[in-house]
Amino acid sequence: MLNRTTRTRWATAVGATLALALGACGGDEPEQASTDEPIVVGISLPLTGDFSEPGKGVQRGYEAWAKITNDKGGLLGRTIELKVLDDQSNADRVVADYEQLIGSDQVDIVVGPFSTRLVVPAARVAEEYGMLFVEPAGAAAEVFQQGFKNLFYAAPAVANDHYNHLAEHLLALPPGQRPTTAAYAAMDDPFAQGTAYGLKAKLEAGGVKTVVDEVYPPNTTDFSSIAAKIATSKADMVVGGSQYQDGVNLIVALQQLNYQPKLAAFSTAPTSPEFAAAIGNKTAGILSPTGYTQDAPYESNKEFVEKYTAQFGSPPEEDEANAYTTGQVVAAAITAAGCAEQGECQKKLVDWVRANKVDTVVGPLSWDETGKPQGAHMIQQWVGGEIKIVLPADAKEADLVYPKPAW
Amino acid sequence: MPSGALLFQSVILGLLLGGLYALLAAGLTLYFGIMRVVMIAHSAFLILAAYLAWWSHTELGIDPLLSMVVTVPLFFGCGVLLQRLLLARLRAVTLTMMSVLLTFAIAVVIEGLLGYVFSGTQRRIQLGYGAASLELLGARIAVVKLIAFGLAGVALASLYLVMKKTTFGWALRATIQHRDAAKLVGIDTDRVAGYGFGLGLATAAVGGTALSLDTTIYPSLHWHWIGPLMAIIVVGGLGSVPGAAAAAMVLGLAQSLLQIELGTTWAQTVFYIALFLTLAVRPQGFFGGRLAQRF
Repeated sequence: MLNRTTRTRWATAVGATLALALGACGGDEPEQASTDEPIVVGISLPLTGDFSEPGKGVQRGYEAWAKITNDKGGLLGRTIELKVLDDQSNADRVVADYEQLIGSDQVDIVVGPFSTRLVVPAARVAEEYGMLFVEPAGAAAEVFQQGFKNLFYAAPAVANDHYNHLAEHLLALPPGQRPTTAAYAAMDDPFAQGTAYGLKAKLEAGGVKTVVDEVYPPNTTDFSSIAAKIATSKADMVVGGSQYQDGVNLIVALQQLNYQPKLAAFSTAPTSPEFAAAIGNKTAGILSPTGYTQDAPYESNKEFVEKYTAQFGSPPEEDEANAYTTGQVVAAAITAAGCAEQGECQKKLVDWVRANKVDTVVGPLSWDETGKPQGAHMIQQWVGGEIKIVLPADAKEADLVYPKPAW
Repeated sequence: MPSGALLFQSVILGLLLGGLYALLAAGLTLYFGIMRVVMIAHSAFLILAAYLAWWSHTELGIDPLLSMVVTVPLFFGCGVLLQRLLLARLRAVTLTMMSVLLTFAIAVVIEGLLGYVFSGTQRRIQLGYGAASLELLGARIAVVKLIAFGLAGVALASLYLVMKKTTFGWALRATIQHRDAAKLVGIDTDRVAGYGFGLGLATAAVGGTALSLDTTIYPSLHWHWIGPLMAIIVVGGLGSVPGAAAAAMVLGLAQSLLQIELGTTWAQTVFYIALFLTLAVRPQGFFGGRLAQRF
């Protein structure tokens, strides 16, 4: 025991001296591979609690990124090692986790957790320590209003822009066909609410009347009253600002009341592989925005889908892809800046990401000064038991069915 | 002003919800009546039963309702053991307070084990008739909710019959009313208390199965339930089973109707407002509940 401690101490001392020496004579060249130690990437994820389902998806995405990168020789000649903590979907916990990862565990890089509720407090910690903070899931407007300087959202669009293609399509319909009334139900969560309210703002401006506007707490399990309000309003269309289980519960509750809208759009839930089974295959015509599909033609996406499927046995979904994208952005920055550790290096990484465009599995990404990506989501629809891209027109696999068939 | 159709639909949903609340609150008030025990773990057992129903449906492929054949006797046994081995050992003077701590611990253990075995992932039973519904005068009644309500009704009626018509029920009520007097007339109050506790826990098995039919379950869900249930039994009058049932129906209906105007978040507060008002105006509870006056 004593021996090992002493040895470690010596190793540290020698390492530190070497690093200092290298640093001193580094001069113009970036000091590459000053150590064989792995690049430790710290992450806190909701592996239990409300967000456990998407949280595990994000974890798989990060694991796939680490493995695929390591198989190709790592970054700067160093392997990538993930250090994952479970925040139990709890915002206080997530702060403590990142404090621990950065402060006491001294990880080299941190990347984001899942969902806005957790991303904002986590980003605040990263900001305090001056760490680059690329994140896979904080898509609500409030993330970009906090004045974060180090945050970048690694996906094509923020929550409020998810439904942009759908809003454009509906408002372009001839007046007789256009829906006239809409019902909205959204989880009290900045991301879920942002998606529904982004569409709401655009449709209201286009003259579609809001007849129901409900917000429910994240842990709600009984949706019968909300469904009753929506069903009796007989709105032409229903929009759910949902995560996963709440979307499933709301749809079942609406079906129990035999509500048949012309259009039904829900965030996140319909793109999950378990969705169809969860609502007893009554999926007819349900719409969902999606930032990722396995069929996307980008170069790195083919590699990702192939190797991910080999590693996990099933193809990746959106959460996995967003985490992988986060990894790609970080990797591009590390390679370009030639460093990956706390301190000065983080500033170089941030400056690089801010000034460049990165090719990822969801296409080329670039950001504005608040870290907001510049793009919109595709719209998918369940047609004949399968989910297909229907908007925008240049990416579609099938035509949008409107009004939707009965579910 | 909400439309008549929405009001009628909400009344129906409120009654269906109230029925489930009534069954769950009946068990909870029974513990207090028998032993002055505040049973925080009641809703944890409820979620445990829901998980067992879900598990037997997913893994064994049998209808969740059949899981009650096992869970009801199992929970009855657990209740008897819990009372005889743990709660009966608490000192009478501090019983009520200490039972809160003890059952709190049991609730946390159950939650932890559920998380360990089934993970924190939200679960929902997928039934062939999950989205089926009946029409009644323009309103819709989901079949699963009707089954849950029916279960609650049958369980409450059986509980009522046991309490009123059997010798054991008389002994149980005597124990609730005056423990010392019951002893004097020759009732083995310890044994009766044990069985009474088992009976309370058996209602959690029925309630959990009913709950699992139409809702998402996850290990920490029980914290969601215990607050409203505690409020119901105080409003109903601690220890009074009919009082708890009546309060449950009224508050369930109120919650459902308030959701029309206030939304889901604020409608939940009806339980706590009712709790404050009861404690301020009529601390012994609004229905029956002579017993609570002594505390």
